[in-house]
Amino acid sequence: MQPGYFVLPLLLALPLLGAIFVMCTPKEEHALHRGIGLFFTTLTFAVSLLTLSYFNKTVAGYQEVLDVPWIPGLGAHFKVGIDGISLWLVLLTTFLMPITMLAAHKAIDRHVREFTAAMLILEVGMIGAFISLDVFLFYVMWEVMLIPMYLLIGIWGGQRRLYASIKFVLYTMVGSLLMLVAILYLYTQYGSVTGEYTTDLEKLTSLVLPHNAQVWCFVAFALAFAIKVPLFPLHTWLPDAHVEAPTAGSVILAGVMLKFGIFGFLRFAIPLFPYGAQVCAPYIGVLAVIGIIYGALVAFAQDDVKKLVAYSSVSHLGFCVLGVFAMNSAGISGSIFAMLSHGLTTGGLFLGIGMLYERRHTRRLAEYGGIWKQMPVFSALFLIITMGSAGLPGLSGFIGEFLSLFGTFNAEQSSLPMPRLLGALAATGVILGAVYLLYMFQKVFFGKLDKTKNGNLPDMSDRELVVFLPLVLGIFILGVAPRPLLRSMEPSVDAFVNQYHNKLVEPDGPAHLQGHAAPTAAADAVNAPRADAGNGVERDLGKIAAQAREVERTLDAANRAPAAARVAGGAQ
Amino acid sequence: MTFVTTDMAYIAPLLILTVTGMLLVIAESFFRGRDRAGLMGLAVAGSVASFVASVVLYRQLEPGSSKLIFDGMLVADRFGFALTGLFSVITALVAMSTPAHQREHGWENGEYYAILLLSAAGMTMLAQAAHLVAIFIGVETMSIGVYVMTALRRRSRRGNEAALKYFLMGAFATGFLLYGMALVYGAAGTAELAQMKTKLLATANPEIAIAGILLMVIAFGFKLAAVPFHMWAPDAYEGAPTPVTAFMAAGVKAAAVAAMIRLFGQYLGGDVLPFGAVGWASPMVIIAGLTITVGNIAAVRQNNVKRMLAYSSISHGGVMLVGLAAMGLGSSTGQSSLVYYLIAYSITTIASFAVVSWVGSRDRERLLVDDWAGLGQKHPAAALAMTVALLSLGGLPPTAGFFGKFYVFKSAMDVADNQLIWLVAIGVVNSAISIYYYLRLVTAMYFREPTEPFTPSRSAPLEVVMVLCPIIILAMGLLPGFWLGLGN
Repeated sequence: MQPGYFVLPLLLALPLLGAIFVMCTPKEEHALHRGIGLFFTTLTFAVSLLTLSYFNKTVAGYQEVLDVPWIPGLGAHFKVGIDGISLWLVLLTTFLMPITMLAAHKAIDRHVREFTAAMLILEVGMIGAFISLDVFLFYVMWEVMLIPMYLLIGIWGGQRRLYASIKFVLYTMVGSLLMLVAILYLYTQYGSVTGEYTTDLEKLTSLVLPHNAQVWCFVAFALAFAIKVPLFPLHTWLPDAHVEAPTAGSVILAGVMLKFGIFGFLRFAIPLFPYGAQVCAPYIGVLAVIGIIYGALVAFAQDDVKKLVAYSSVSHLGFCVLGVFAMNSAGISGSIFAMLSHGLTTGGLFLGIGMLYERRHTRRLAEYGGIWKQMPVFSALFLIITMGSAGLPGLSGFIGEFLSLFGTFNAEQSSLPMPRLLGALAATGVILGAVYLLYMFQKVFFGKLDKTKNGNLPDMSDRELVVFLPLVLGIFILGVAPRPLLRSMEPSVDAFVNQYHNKLVEPDGPAHLQGHAAPTAAADAVNAPRADAGNGVERDLGKIAAQAREVERTLDAANRAPAAARVAGGAQ
Repeated sequence: MTFVTTDMAYIAPLLILTVTGMLLVIAESFFRGRDRAGLMGLAVAGSVASFVASVVLYRQLEPGSSKLIFDGMLVADRFGFALTGLFSVITALVAMSTPAHQREHGWENGEYYAILLLSAAGMTMLAQAAHLVAIFIGVETMSIGVYVMTALRRRSRRGNEAALKYFLMGAFATGFLLYGMALVYGAAGTAELAQMKTKLLATANPEIAIAGILLMVIAFGFKLAAVPFHMWAPDAYEGAPTPVTAFMAAGVKAAAVAAMIRLFGQYLGGDVLPFGAVGWASPMVIIAGLTITVGNIAAVRQNNVKRMLAYSSISHGGVMLVGLAAMGLGSSTGQSSLVYYLIAYSITTIASFAVVSWVGSRDRERLLVDDWAGLGQKHPAAALAMTVALLSLGGLPPTAGFFGKFYVFKSAMDVADNQLIWLVAIGVVNSAISIYYYLRLVTAMYFREPTEPFTPSRSAPLEVVMVLCPIIILAMGLLPGFWLGLGN
């Protein structure tokens, strides 16, 4: 048992408990439901800070791991743990949840009990997907996220909510089901190579598939994650979902759920199928750049503020994708950092738009203008968030975008072709980002106060201030002092990059464990124990082969970087 | 022929169902009044007794052991008793769903319960059949009962149309089955399944044998409503009284698959297939792919809930064929995953049809998707039961339907050389498509305002079914290990 192993299961249990608890309360007690929701999400956030105290920032591997057998027939485990990559994403989730719950106090006025339960279940799914170290558990959690978000859009959404909710589910399902086929393939391949059938991610990562299988499997995984990111041209569900979703749904969707696309590449698709990643990287890189520019241009053309911010997400997430596929430490750290920043800034933008909408019941830019005079506090805070999103140095957005672009420029030709060109094109996205965000800000807050309806809008209430201030503070802190964050993710990111390159040089050929690309005779010996378990001689041969593997592994551990050896050693 | 009395103990489920069925015929004349609750009670009691007998027999046998009884006509093994148990549960649940529908739609024929149990007896015979003749008797006993039950709403035009269609198609299928059996018997020289494979491998007339096997595949394809032999299914499902539809969709389909597992999976499948994959595995793979796809795409277009469920059940039949093909091609997990899938699918189907018959009433049968608008607001419990059933049909975790599909596809991936990977890909893409039409109903129930008040057909036994089934669905999803072990 690793220290702090109890924290992560607790993070799943608390929201689940809250959801069950709230469903047991009477239907009409709205204040009670809101209180319960806020209480449990805040408690979860407090507990999630414990993960930080148990986290060793100098270690690359998974920490606070809990491993319990779950479905013995399948070899599925309830295995959870975090590393430098997922730690901050988990914290982002638990941080945004109470804020979102508080922000929804006024906007959600019917079925409050069901809303609270849906949000809490959603939190279980999101945290679960970030901390799963078992592909099967991950898949289940990935699907658990789907239904609450579908309900959030469908029940509390806007005019075209039916269309948007079904579109959201269908897009996600198509992607994730093909991923399931790839998982099954990987599972059977690992089973036939080692004789052990398991869905443990660390063990599966040590398997090297034949090159063409890697490409197919990577494509299947990448489709699921690219839809989630969303990568151009798979992004069309996003504007619909965002525009129709209630503010709380939009914040969580943009703030957390889009990150699963990037996170999925980092945790699953690339480590499992590095050769596939290398083959697909040019295409994904080009699509990411198209997404950055296209998203920015379309955002600029919007009259609906929410749609504008939705398209800005397409643009911003493009930087994250580009950073990941640069396959170097700077790019990947930058990508993770940009995700955290995007969670805060875009979450803040959606919350701000929600506050405006509650006052004016419109999201059209043309209906606003001169709001600064009416709502100075709100406008100032909103400006900080907008600037953070636009990447003003000193605020959070700058560092992520800078690092991921820096990583892209320095990417090796073999990982990402034409890195300079892609980087340069992507950099124009930063400028375009400033253009549409400032345009939006100017249209809403500056100019003449010429609409009579805008005449007496109240400034922020205390509740809204409590919602906004943590976000603004977070944007400042990330922008001014990024070092601690970057340093804590550094070992994991370096290990990721090393593992990628180590696994990439594995020769093509039948599926084998990493570092065991033995000639066929040895591969046969590995298979022997399973094929003829009943035969005494064969079994002894199998034992000898197993001992030989043990020795090889020890040698490996001495030779390789500690992290890479740990992953390979996890095979047994 | 020697008659061993202990063999009788091994067919206890069959005997109990048959005897109760006959008792029901007699009892019917004593229940003169309109109140038929007593008949329903007797039918449920008989099914439960048969279920208990199945459990006892199941536990008596060692895993993996199998014992031929009645001179090789039937077989006693754990797989068979797992399925007789399932068929008994299906019968009990269908019987409990019936009174409300009978009362609302005026078809309170007393003979219904007798036919139901006798038909179920045919199903249990299929689960235990080890001889071509036993299979044939089982199929006919089951089918004739279901033809009659389909026609029980005598004044309903649709009911009559459905029954006639079903009967005519079924009669053709019987012809195919019998002809196929005759050819196989001619080529193999035996009708005992246990010896069939060795005899067929050595036959002098492989063409005749292949033709016979394919004719049998077609006949079972009819029973299973596999494409392109599915034309009767939507009309029959729509026209039959809803509880009977549930029995057709859950029971008849499961029984047909049970017989196919016996015939093709256990006795004609394995590492060496008679006549190679062409014998029956390849045709089955093609039929499976077609069935999943056509059923699904047709379901997308349906506005009638019963027809939508009918097409969706066609598509589910395709998934079962995937499992069968996997089993035939040597996947070691094929059988256990199929049994899990059959249980999951049957319980889910009964749950969904139970809600369908609960929501409708005498004046408004509420079969259109639009009629379900706002059910979530007015009757949250019923809407929740339907949602669990639909999510399970769509294969979303953590429901039984997800694990069912997952295990079947996993067993298909276990087949050597990834022969079935494309079939699995077709299967999962169709799962994604199916989410669309299942969620359409969920969307109507939760996201739309009710247009008129609901007048549900309230009935305690029906509501018990509506509570029990979703609990089983979730239990199977959360703790799949136990259920997966049943088929070994």
